[in-house]
Amino acid sequence: MDKFLKRSVAKRVFSFELNEATYKVESDEKLVQILLPTGTLCSRVFIVGVLLDREETRPDSDFWKIRVSDPTGVFRGFVGKFQPDALENLLKIDPPEIVAIVSKVRIFEGTTSNLVTLRPEVIVPVERDVMNYWILETAEQTLKRIKDMKKGESELVEMAWKIYNPDLSYYESKIRDAVSAILKVEKEEEVSEEEIEEETADISESFEEDLELEIPDIDEFEFEEEEIDLNDILG
Amino acid sequence: MDRIHKLSEEVVKKFKNSGYDVNIKDVYKRLKLLIDEFKVPEDEAVRTVTNYLLKELDIPRDKLVVDSPLVKIADIGSPGQWISLKAKVVQLWDSSSPNVSQVGLIGDETGIIKFVIWAKANKPEVEEGKNYLFANVVTDRFGGKMQVNINKYSRIEEIDEDISLPPRDVDIVGALVAIQQNSGLIRRCKICNRVLTKGVCPIHGKTEAYDDLRIKGVMDDGENYYEVILNEENIKNLTGIGLEEAIELARKHYDREIVLSELKNKLLGRYFRFKGRRGERYLIVNDIEFLQYDEVEKAKEILSKIGGETIG
Ligand SMILES: [Zn+2]
Repeated sequence: MDKFLKRSVAKRVFSFELNEATYKVESDEKLVQILLPTGTLCSRVFIVGVLLDREETRPDSDFWKIRVSDPTGVFRGFVGKFQPDALENLLKIDPPEIVAIVSKVRIFEGTTSNLVTLRPEVIVPVERDVMNYWILETAEQTLKRIKDMKKGESELVEMAWKIYNPDLSYYESKIRDAVSAILKVEKEEEVSEEEIEEETADISESFEEDLELEIPDIDEFEFEEEEIDLNDILG
Repeated sequence: MDRIHKLSEEVVKKFKNSGYDVNIKDVYKRLKLLIDEFKVPEDEAVRTVTNYLLKELDIPRDKLVVDSPLVKIADIGSPGQWISLKAKVVQLWDSSSPNVSQVGLIGDETGIIKFVIWAKANKPEVEEGKNYLFANVVTDRFGGKMQVNINKYSRIEEIDEDISLPPRDVDIVGALVAIQQNSGLIRRCKICNRVLTKGVCPIHGKTEAYDDLRIKGVMDDGENYYEVILNEENIKNLTGIGLEEAIELARKHYDREIVLSELKNKLLGRYFRFKGRRGERYLIVNDIEFLQYDEVEKAKEILSKIGGETIG
């Protein structure tokens, strides 16, 4: 009796997986759903990571580009006045800072590849243990999806195999690294906040370099939402 | 098994479901001729052979039922869909309308939904606690809620399965992903306790009112979401802000909304363990606390599941 007014569940997905998602499932309602490489549909995500920076796309546009890292890479997103709560909070935050984000997922279609971005509804600074739990929970739920991929029983799983043909052992190694990092931090009795921030910044930088190679010039992307100016995206 | 054989079996099954036996060899021969010899598209060939058999056996077209897809109750999202469900009758209600044969609730492991069997459908009665296949029923929205209607094209079959229902009592770990309107320091009508919107009770208009503290929110565990209501006691236990503190905060800032933004900052995006009971729409929370867990143990447990066959 709790399903009458449907809301999309916020999926737990690491950035390395979300950034590989390119396939949008058409729907008659206005809902944008993205097929993840591990065979599930995703229109909303819950993530907890480090807000690395925020940058106004153009002066006084009130449209901000953000980058948020997790142990596997970087999420990119945009916050504008259409999400007033998120915007208000974003402007109060002094990055780098750990934040929880509830977000719609958007996919911009280019001619040679697609770009996944976040449209946060909620941004709120949270504590480190919240981030650690998110990493563990996301690892668990991704492993569960991987298990279903191996079983290969559902239509979505079949589709994901056909479209992405994911290297599941690579996925597992990414998850192993992310989870092991928590044990490592736990072992080192005193790790200063700064060191950790540097570490995450390093990871995201190297990921950023990878991205530059893969993502074509932004002019190739067409945007479906009127509130987005082409120049805002990577400008 | 070749493709044509498979199609033949489907045709035979379709007739069998409606109570008619047809000869598979005959069906096969006809399909093969159409598809292999005459290069007719498969679906056209199937339709042609089906029509031939209907005519041959003198079966009225509406007697031949092709069942709608079998879905789970949780997947029912929009009205006007033809679906089939395997479900248990949870509750039968008294019907006051002569147009309605039976009305009540049916459920499967994913949810519970209202059903209506129209008198015109002319179906045998279902019984509470028994399990049925409800084939070819239509989804509908009534009073803002989804329901399924059983009409004369539907079929109800008792099945030999014990369908489990979603637990009424829940114990869940999830993140608070949204806090909805009309949360925080609210005012309630002194007569009916309803929450006032802009100082007005939906029933009693401008009325005497009192302060209360509550949160209407959404908990999400990555697989399901739960609409929850937290009362003053829940909120005070979690944040230290009870009704008194909230009123004081509002007075100090000359702003009642400050209470809501304070609660959002303390609660949104956090994980909770909560126990409660499902209501009509909201989950009534009995007990809620910030999640406490053993990081190392959980990390090790997950690592042990990676790779190999042991993931589970
Ligand atoms: Zn009232």
